[in-house]
Amino acid sequence: MIRLKNIQVGYGHCVVAQLDGDLAFAKAKFISIIGTNGSGKSTLLRAIASGQHLINGNVFLEDKNWTDQTAQDRSRLISIVLTERAFSYFLSVRELLELSRAPYTNYIGKLSDVDHEIINEVLESFDLKGMESRRAGTLSDGQLQRVLIARAIVQDTSYILMDEPTSHLDINHKADLLLLLKEYCHKKGKTVIYATHEIQLALSLCDEVVSIHKGNIAHQSTADFIKSNLLREIFPSPHVDFKHGKMEFRFD
Amino acid sequence: MKRQFTLLITFLLIFFIADVCLGTVYIKPHQIWDALFGLENPQTSKTVRYIITELRLPRAIMAVFTGAGLAIAGLLMQTLFRNPLAGPFVLGISSGAGLGVALVIMGATALGIGAISGIGIITASVVGSLVVLLLIILMSLRIKDTMGLLIVGLMVGSLSSAVVGILSYFSSSEELKRYVFWSLGSLGNINWDDLLIIGLLFIVALLLLLWIIKPLNALLLGESYALSLGINIKKTRWIIIIITSILAGSITAFAGPIAFIGLAVPHLARLILPTVNHKILIPTAILLGATLLLFCDIASQLPFSNYSLPINAVTSILGAPLIIWLIMRKRNLHF
Repeated sequence: MIRLKNIQVGYGHCVVAQLDGDLAFAKAKFISIIGTNGSGKSTLLRAIASGQHLINGNVFLEDKNWTDQTAQDRSRLISIVLTERAFSYFLSVRELLELSRAPYTNYIGKLSDVDHEIINEVLESFDLKGMESRRAGTLSDGQLQRVLIARAIVQDTSYILMDEPTSHLDINHKADLLLLLKEYCHKKGKTVIYATHEIQLALSLCDEVVSIHKGNIAHQSTADFIKSNLLREIFPSPHVDFKHGKMEFRFD
Repeated sequence: MKRQFTLLITFLLIFFIADVCLGTVYIKPHQIWDALFGLENPQTSKTVRYIITELRLPRAIMAVFTGAGLAIAGLLMQTLFRNPLAGPFVLGISSGAGLGVALVIMGATALGIGAISGIGIITASVVGSLVVLLLIILMSLRIKDTMGLLIVGLMVGSLSSAVVGILSYFSSSEELKRYVFWSLGSLGNINWDDLLIIGLLFIVALLLLLWIIKPLNALLLGESYALSLGINIKKTRWIIIIITSILAGSITAFAGPIAFIGLAVPHLARLILPTVNHKILIPTAILLGATLLLFCDIASQLPFSNYSLPINAVTSILGAPLIIWLIMRKRNLHF
């Protein structure tokens, strides 16, 4: 379980978003973080994953305070998928996945049979078998995003944090990939927390919603979130309408 | 992969022996054996023995150290800065050495000390690189951003060049010539004691390197991902800087600022064994760097003639077209 307690996230002394009280993410849940641009979705994810931008408050991983754990401990609990792509484009898909076993390998990074088994299984599940020797630089945006998500899965952590994982994908891939991910995680008992602007998809797929509005972090089941008026408050544009969680654009 | 390594090792041995044999005086390969193991052979005169043990062998070994060391340093910098254009001297180490040497050569007369010996120049080079190294390490404590460090390195380089420029402007043509000679690099004038020092530093660097193979590979994913894999970025960055400084600093001190090898060899290595895994890339770069510099040294000796070229000119003349060819062939370079 990830538990956040009275946290403030932001830059320097500037608080972007805060949480009064407790918030807990249970195992095997598919959770989205919703909010406008600049509301602090990515900042919140980074605070949980790496402690960056955490100004105040505590993050607990499996009942242990974040600060009491080593980077290695955390790397076995939380994996991430980022929007930045600062990796070497010379890496092959397989190499990329192999490197992600780092939390479990010895000082020189030697892979065991178990490591190879896990990588092969993920390659299979995410339909990457045919492209394992291709270099990252030769993949399309959609393929690359699938590889990056597979990378996080290979790290074999209980929690997977993703920052706008579907932003580059066409609508087919968005739906397919998220559903695949959801089913995979329910099956394996993993929790996915992802920041997104795809409201419609999030409301149809997620078990729970974390919303950030006016700097306040709130956490509800998706059904409760739809019932509340929060969606309307977060996105007050007269050109967007929400009915029972369905989104519609209006330009008349 | 085994085939490539066997080939690389064979080439290294061939070029090593060739480098000892070729020069103004031609030496037959079996004479190297005679000289090394003290075998009596009327064909191998005392002069030849001296040329082999005191001139050619130290020179060839220095070429191996220099090529291998600069290749490792260049590779580390390319990985750390995620930049295919980075080389061993991006942190300003050679500029620091250059400034030290310039101060000694061109500043000496101004202070009325008179001409400075070869040892003085080596000392100045060591002090110069050390000062820059300390500066960089101190600043790396304050600078969180790796790219910031790269810019600081470049600035230190510009600053040193500017001071060298001012010194050159006011120096005599004799002094200027000496400085230019140093900056063109030289693998000669190395004795066994120097090699021992460099060898020991090399062992230290290689041991440290073993320690950061895994973090280096993780860095290929970018710092954020490396961090999420449990890698201590700060510690890794420190060790990378220290290894690079040891290698580039000691080599520059004894051989001058040897250009191009450090930039070009990692790219060639990635071409020969198409991987970015440092476990494979580092040995490849070591073998390739050593072989390439031996080759450059043979070329710079202009075998069978009484002339020789400065090593730095040769590495660039051979290295620049090589990189251009690489880019034409592959369209882009990677880190």
